Amino acid sequence: MPDSVHAIELTVNGEPHEAVVPGRQLLVHFIRDTLGLRGTHIGCDSGNCGACTVIVDGKAVKSCMQLAVQADGRALETVEGLSGPGEEPNDLQAAFTRHHALQCGYCTPGMLMSATALLEQAEELSLDEIRRGLKGNICRCTGYVNIVRAVEDVAARRGLA
Amino acid sequence: MLLPSLAYERPETVEEAVALLRATRNARVLAGGQTLLNALKLRIVHPDVLVDVSRIPSLREIAHEPDGALRIGAAVTYDELAASPLVRAAHPVTAAMGSRLVDRQVRARGTIGGNVCLADPTSNFPPLLVALGARLRVRGARGARETDADGFFLAPYMTALAPGELLDSVLLPALAADQRVGYETLQVGTDSWALARASALVRCNGTIREARVALGCGPVPVRQRAMERALVGRAPTAAAIAAAAALAGEGFDPPGDVHASAAYRTKMAIVMARRAVRAATEES
Repeated sequence: MPDSVHAIELTVNGEPHEAVVPGRQLLVHFIRDTLGLRGTHIGCDSGNCGACTVIVDGKAVKSCMQLAVQADGRALETVEGLSGPGEEPNDLQAAFTRHHALQCGYCTPGMLMSATALLEQAEELSLDEIRRGLKGNICRCTGYVNIVRAVEDVAARRGLA
Repeated sequence: MLLPSLAYERPETVEEAVALLRATRNARVLAGGQTLLNALKLRIVHPDVLVDVSRIPSLREIAHEPDGALRIGAAVTYDELAASPLVRAAHPVTAAMGSRLVDRQVRARGTIGGNVCLADPTSNFPPLLVALGARLRVRGARGARETDADGFFLAPYMTALAPGELLDSVLLPALAADQRVGYETLQVGTDSWALARASALVRCNGTIREARVALGCGPVPVRQRAMERALVGRAPTAAAIAAAAALAGEGFDPPGDVHASAAYRTKMAIVMARRAVRAATEES
């Protein structure tokens, strides 16, 4: 059976995009190779590590675990959308810096996108909810304590704690 | 990793989906994709066509049926199940399960229909649905049929769905005022897969009138008839429930592997069964 191809329309970090994608293309490959947005990382390629986490229609998802064509009509947010080139880091990025919430940095884009969705969807966030909320993201440097502190800090500043 | 060559289809109705499944000899239903995409990457499955049912409106519905049962569309995601006011009111244990699966990213994509149709022995929903007496509505070329969850799970990764059939919805019978549900699981980590699971539906008004208990993490979810019979007519005391649970484990047949021996899994399933009945008989 030959590959199917599909015209899709979506917004990427707020900007409308049109593209033609093969039916078998993973969303993460579309983001990195077609859109050229290399902030979204591929870690395990099996849905375990969360390094490829992006936000689709407000929800954090692993972009290696869905097809690009399935993002048709959706609003896609990647780590590049958190703050533009030359702009100040947003409050979450600043908190990651302040709390030393990154070591090698490989998991960071996924952590940031998971935490972004978590903070936006919650009316309040306990420490336990932050920990459970980030369960889908693995930090192989095991820098979890500072990552959770950074998210806790933002939650407090946004009145969610 | 690149997926194998395939064609992707996104039908807009169940009828179109069933027609596509029927027209293609080697088609696979794609919903949340949280297992299927890995199976494709690993070349475990080789479909010619993926039929994406995740946007079919009727499969996304949660609504009450005329008989009071709660109909949950097969493409409802775990996080939608957890957030649904209808599910939380009518079946709080089912809603809670939707909030405690895997992680947030998977809960945003994974569907109850995918969980049921995969029939992974360690999955959360199959033993719960068996205990609840859930019905599964299936659509095929010859129209709709319904099957009991009890008879749906045939073997690991094998269900009573015939080729060309599509799971439409899961029907959860309404709980009576004196019916309660318990669900207990021995997980390897928070919200993770498990070594043993047990679910119970108990009708109790000072005396246990009816009990359905199912164990999970064996090859298929399995009813515990001897335990159920031993519960009926007894007051829901810790001693009576423990005595009945001593009869649990029939037909369970879990695997033994690097994580735990079969004997350990069986012992733990009995503990989970006892706790599930306790949970279903405790005053709220």
